[in-house]
Amino acid sequence: MTVTQSAVDAIEERPARHGLARYAAAKAGGALLSIAMVIVATFFAFRLLPGDPVRALAQGRNMTPEQLDLERARLGLDKSLPEQFVHFVGQTLRFDLGVSYEYKRPVLDLIGERIGSTLLLTGTALVMAVSLGVWQGARAGWKPGSRFDRFSTAISLVLWSVPTFWLGLLLLMVFAAGVGPIPGIFPTRGIESVDAPDGFGYVLDVAKHMVLPCLTMVAVVYAQYLLVMRSSVLDEVGQDYVTTARAKGLRDDEVRRKHAVPNALLPTVTLVFMRIGFVVGGAVTVEAIFSWPGLGQLFYEAIRVPDFTLMQGTFLLITVSVILMNTLADVVYHVLDPRVRSA
Amino acid sequence: MRKWLAGLAALGMAAVGILPAQAAEPDSPKVIRVGATQAMDSMNPFLAVRLVSSSIHRWMYGFLTVPDSKTLQPSPDLAESWTTSPDGLTWTFKIRQAKWSDGQPVTAEDAAWTFTKMMTDDGAKTANGPAVENFASVTANGQELTIKLKAPQASMLDNPVPIMPKHVWEKVGDIAKYDADDYPAVTSGPYIAVEHKKDQYVKLKANPDYWRGRPKIDELQMIFYDNPAAAVVGLKKGDIDLIGRLAPPDFEALKGTDTIVQWNTEGRRSTYLQINHGATTSDNKPIGDGHPALKDPRVRQALHTAIDKQKLVDEVQNGLARPADGSIVPPMYKDFFWEATGAEKVSFDLAKANKILDDAGYKKGADGIRAMPDGSRKLQFRFSIHTDTPIEDKLAEYLTGWFKELGITLTTKRLDSSKFTEETGTTALFDIAISGWSVNPDPEEVLATHLCSRRPTASGEGGGTESFYCDPQFEQLYAQQQKELDRGKRAEVIKKMEQRLYTDAPVIALYYPNNLEGYRSDRIASVTSIPEDKGMLYGGSGYWPFYTLEAVSTNGESDEGSNTGVIVGVVAAVVVLAAAGLFVARRKRGVADERE
Repeated sequence: MTVTQSAVDAIEERPARHGLARYAAAKAGGALLSIAMVIVATFFAFRLLPGDPVRALAQGRNMTPEQLDLERARLGLDKSLPEQFVHFVGQTLRFDLGVSYEYKRPVLDLIGERIGSTLLLTGTALVMAVSLGVWQGARAGWKPGSRFDRFSTAISLVLWSVPTFWLGLLLLMVFAAGVGPIPGIFPTRGIESVDAPDGFGYVLDVAKHMVLPCLTMVAVVYAQYLLVMRSSVLDEVGQDYVTTARAKGLRDDEVRRKHAVPNALLPTVTLVFMRIGFVVGGAVTVEAIFSWPGLGQLFYEAIRVPDFTLMQGTFLLITVSVILMNTLADVVYHVLDPRVRSA
Repeated sequence: MRKWLAGLAALGMAAVGILPAQAAEPDSPKVIRVGATQAMDSMNPFLAVRLVSSSIHRWMYGFLTVPDSKTLQPSPDLAESWTTSPDGLTWTFKIRQAKWSDGQPVTAEDAAWTFTKMMTDDGAKTANGPAVENFASVTANGQELTIKLKAPQASMLDNPVPIMPKHVWEKVGDIAKYDADDYPAVTSGPYIAVEHKKDQYVKLKANPDYWRGRPKIDELQMIFYDNPAAAVVGLKKGDIDLIGRLAPPDFEALKGTDTIVQWNTEGRRSTYLQINHGATTSDNKPIGDGHPALKDPRVRQALHTAIDKQKLVDEVQNGLARPADGSIVPPMYKDFFWEATGAEKVSFDLAKANKILDDAGYKKGADGIRAMPDGSRKLQFRFSIHTDTPIEDKLAEYLTGWFKELGITLTTKRLDSSKFTEETGTTALFDIAISGWSVNPDPEEVLATHLCSRRPTASGEGGGTESFYCDPQFEQLYAQQQKELDRGKRAEVIKKMEQRLYTDAPVIALYYPNNLEGYRSDRIASVTSIPEDKGMLYGGSGYWPFYTLEAVSTNGESDEGSNTGVIVGVVAAVVVLAAAGLFVARRKRGVADERE
């Protein structure tokens, strides 16, 4: 990384700072516009969905017309669509995501309760997937056609195409239940044991619960980094500066790590930021398989009921964070790659 | 660097050391863990609607009555006795001397407050509103509770409302927003909730002052799984000790484990088809787009005759069900179950079904598909099922095959649950739809879903109907059983209602799915089912199984647990050391690179 940074510094001209500020402002403006559009779209999309939420809430129980009316009034569904829209936008701008139909509690509270465990799981998985993918991709791309390359590409293609729930279940069956000589050492569910000890023991307990869901997520996600990294390293291999570095008599390994890899990392940066956006949404499937009490699970529940305010709230949160992270990715890319700036 | 390595090694050692230590406590309390594939929606009994929530509330709170574990008849719970006025409108309950878990006495005031709250506060109606709809007034006098009804109601003793402690709950401002998450909870039942982690677990401790006596175990834990397959793995592994409400494949996955008892008994559910036989609103106006041929009872009878229920049981339910030769009340409720016999009994017979349709004038066209007698429309029906329920998909395949033999086309229509409820319960945009109910020990509610009054209004309000049924004979029988306080006589009337449903066929019962559960015999020494003779464990009404549970040993964790600790510790240590080694190796090479 250091090499790129110094190279960037050398090329950088003074006015570029202003350029960056203007660029960032323009991007932020774009992001705000997208968020506004998402808010509008969310409102209408969830009203277009089939089904009467009040009736869904009743879950087949007999409710009198009076009770149904009361529920409607409570949920604000008795108002006209424009009225509901104004109310919704006003609420959302005040960071009030409404009250969940089913849990009868503010959606923001529900999200707050779960966001931590989602960030823990997806964050850890992301760090692992990126490090592993980038490292393996760089090595594979450096010597295309080598045994390592063929092995890596094959593995990543397989993992990339495996359905997440299938892989998750498989890991659950093998490493939680135990098969043959493999003992089932990992927990089957959740983030902690019911009788989890305090202090360091608790950290270990959570770590133990994280192994399988994390492994599932890493396995499915890391292939993407591997393949992107591999192809961008492959692009660098034939470049003049690589040849020059080699001609200087640097060791091959060093040319790769200090010259080619930093340059090849750029596309991965975008990918990482985009993923961070999705990290908030969690992995619905992984959380459902391992009963991980995160946002993904909450969203899954919301769809099952269906709990419209909860769906709306989680959906908004996920889309907004993806937009923000995309914007950030653009800006960071702008800083890292001078070519984007001059273009 | 060396310091850092030492730290890592210590961490590895700690991992090895700590885990087994925590697993092997000698005098751990008797804990039973129950797995559930649904999480609590609310700890507030006025709001909670999920089955798992009402089960847990059953273990926590006293009710007026509880189904007897042998006969399933209402038996004393918090009400030790009761009397009824001759007109059936006034009920007087004597509340027993019992204590709340905070030491306060239980009085009739508590019960009166609970019911009155539900009658006066719409927020408190959410969970059990219909239970007090017929109440005119509720008053208390010491230990005596008097309920006056608007109309006679024989199912009065099957009241599903937990009695709440007035002195705690009257301080709650808005019931509709109260989460009831103060622990320990104040309750009068066998267990006291002491901890609840949302979507994770609920911990309940035995109530030492419970009026029947303290439960035999110390702690009951309810552990929530999102994923039934994971729950089955959890049971095999010993993470949980009991699990109920299993689907046939999950139940079969328990086979071959010595320490697991597969508990396969008659269930409280029935699976049936609802047929749009000319849906109307509560003001008798036609609604929806049901196929006109289904208005003809002979067509419904022909469809019934063309269904091989035994085959459905074998192939769709893996044999874990009983073919339905009755109506929607399952055979588990012996007192109320009615079964067709003799000429009335509909048996699978495609030739006969074809003949019924031929005789009724539904002629086959050149394409082999029958048409209305006036030739106006072909007999092409839609079959509404839920999305993502493989079992219903499979069912649809079989029905489509048999109906094809009749010259009737059946197309499957998959709907998500809210759309499904709307189309089959309000707008009547369906021909045939799948349905099923869990029936309570008193079957009145499930039968009431066939009353004229349960049809929606023209504006689509109200309801809770099955196939928009409205039949004078059925109405008359329903009113009759409501007034009949003699259980035996009432059962006879209820059977007549079932018979009417069977012969008129607005619904066609397919089978009664078994109640499938599993528990670990190395953890649970004994448990009383409801009813006691091979009944249900988790899924039944009442708290008997969980009150009578006996755990096997004092040791909370099996030996395997400590092995697990060692293995995890070793794995952790190996990973840590490997990482350290790798790091050192790379550092060395890094230094070498720099020198070049």
